[in-house]
Amino acid sequence: MLTRRAEPPLDPSILEEAADWLMRLSEHDLTDTERAEWECWKVSSPERSRAWSRAQLLQSKFGGLPPALAMSTLDRPSNPERRAALGKLALLLAAVPTGWGTWKLAQSQQWSADYHTAVGQRRELTLADGSRITLNTDSAIDVLFDTRQRLINLRAGEILVQTAPDSSAQPRPFLVSTREGRMQALGTRFTVRELEPRTQLAVLEGAVQVELADGRQTAPIIVNAGQRTDFSAQAFGQLNPTDSNVGAWTRGMLMADKMRLADFVSELARYRRGFVRCDPAIADLRISGAFPISDTQRSLNMLVQTYPVLVTGHLSGYWVTLSAA
Amino acid sequence: MSESLSANNDNHLRVIEALYSGHHGWLYATLKKKLGNAMDAADLAQDTFTRILASQVTAIEQPRAYLSCVAKGILVNWYQRKALERAYLDALAHLPAPEVPSPELRFVVLETLHEIDAMLDTLPPLVKRAFLLSQIGGLKYQDIAEQLDVSLITVKRYMKQAFVQCLMLVE
Repeated sequence: MLTRRAEPPLDPSILEEAADWLMRLSEHDLTDTERAEWECWKVSSPERSRAWSRAQLLQSKFGGLPPALAMSTLDRPSNPERRAALGKLALLLAAVPTGWGTWKLAQSQQWSADYHTAVGQRRELTLADGSRITLNTDSAIDVLFDTRQRLINLRAGEILVQTAPDSSAQPRPFLVSTREGRMQALGTRFTVRELEPRTQLAVLEGAVQVELADGRQTAPIIVNAGQRTDFSAQAFGQLNPTDSNVGAWTRGMLMADKMRLADFVSELARYRRGFVRCDPAIADLRISGAFPISDTQRSLNMLVQTYPVLVTGHLSGYWVTLSAA
Repeated sequence: MSESLSANNDNHLRVIEALYSGHHGWLYATLKKKLGNAMDAADLAQDTFTRILASQVTAIEQPRAYLSCVAKGILVNWYQRKALERAYLDALAHLPAPEVPSPELRFVVLETLHEIDAMLDTLPPLVKRAFLLSQIGGLKYQDIAEQLDVSLITVKRYMKQAFVQCLMLVE
C-alpha cells in the first residue's frame, strides 16, 4: 500500500528531467559530453539530487529481477474495475460526511458475488437456481439474483450459459448484461463474449432476446439456435450461422476451419500469458484442425509440424513470434 | 483553530469507536462468508477499521453500507495481491530449473513485484506494457515500437509517462 512520505513532494518538472535521463541511460551508453552533463545535473540542486536518488532506487528495484519471471507476473491484464473501485475508496475515506448518503444512493449497494478466471483457466459454476455458467480464460462475472431477476453481468471475457427453469412462484427472467447490451434467455444454451466495444453472442439451443445498451431507436431482436451475431451499444451486426468453434472451448479445444493464421494466433493468445505475434507475411495462411487450449505450447508445436511456420521464443517462451519457415 | 481541530479529532475517534463496537462483528461475519476463511476475514476487517481510523471521517450516516464500501475497496486490493501471487507461482512453475531463484530470493522478488505492480497499476495497459518490455525485457525502443505497432515517438512518450509516475511513487 502506498503511504504518504514525510519529505515534501518533488516538482513534476524535476521528475521529468530525471525521467529524461533515465530514458537516455536505458536507450544507449552516454557519450563523454553527456556523462559530464549528467553528473552536473545530478548535483545542480538539492531537489535534483533527491530526484536522482529516487531514480536509483527505481533502477535497483528493476535491476535485480529475473526477467522471465517478472515479465509474466507483472504483465497481467490490468483491471479497470479495480482502478474504479480504488478511486471510490479514496473518495470515501476523504469523505465529506454529508455527501455520503447521496453518493451511496447512486451506487448499486448489493455485494455481488464475483467469479473470475486467470489466463488459461476455465471454471464451471452451478448457480442457486440450477443454471450453469462456464467461464472461459481471463473472464469475470458478477451474479445478482433477487426477487425480480436473475442477472449475470459479464465484465470481461467469455461465458457459456445453460439456463434452468426458475422454480420460484413468480418466474424471474434470466439476463446477461455487457457494456453493449442486455440479453434475455428464452430457455436456452448460449455463449457471450465481451470484446469491448462489441459483444459477441452465439446461440446453441433455444433463443435469446437482445436489447442494446443505447438503443432507443432500435427494437430488440431475437437470435435463434444456430445463429450468432455481434453488437455495439448502438447497432446490431449481421446474423450469421454458428461455426464449429462456438463453445469448443468448453471441451478444451480451439477448432479451426480454414481460419486465417492471424485470427488463430489471436484466439490462441487468449489462453497464454505473454505475447504471440504473427509475421504479417503469413497472416493470411489458412489453417484447419483441433488444437488443445490447455497446452498452447503443444498447439504451436502442432502448427509447426503441419504448416510452413517457424516459431521462435524469447524470455522463456513469454514472447513468441511466428514467421514463414 | 487548533481547538477546533482537536474537537474534530475527538469526534472522529468517537465515530470510529461506535462503528467498531456496533459493526465489527457483522463486518467480520460478512467477510468470512464471502472469503470462506476466518483468518483472512479477521485481517481484512482489521484493515478496514485501520483505514477508516487513518481517515478524517467525522460522521457516518449509514454505517453498514459505508463499511461495506470501504471493505469492498480493500477486498479488491487483496484480490489483486492474490492474483499477483498466483501469476507469480504459475510463472515459477513454468520456469526452466536453472532460472528458478533460491527460496529466500523468491520472497524478495515477490515483494518487489508487488511494489512495482502498485506503481504501474494506474497506467494505461499499453504504457505499462511498453515500460515492462523496456525495463524488464531489455528491448530497445525501436523494437518495442514494432512489437506494439506504434511509432517510436509514442513509445518515448509512454516511457516518459511511466518513469515520471514511478519516480513519483517509488519508496
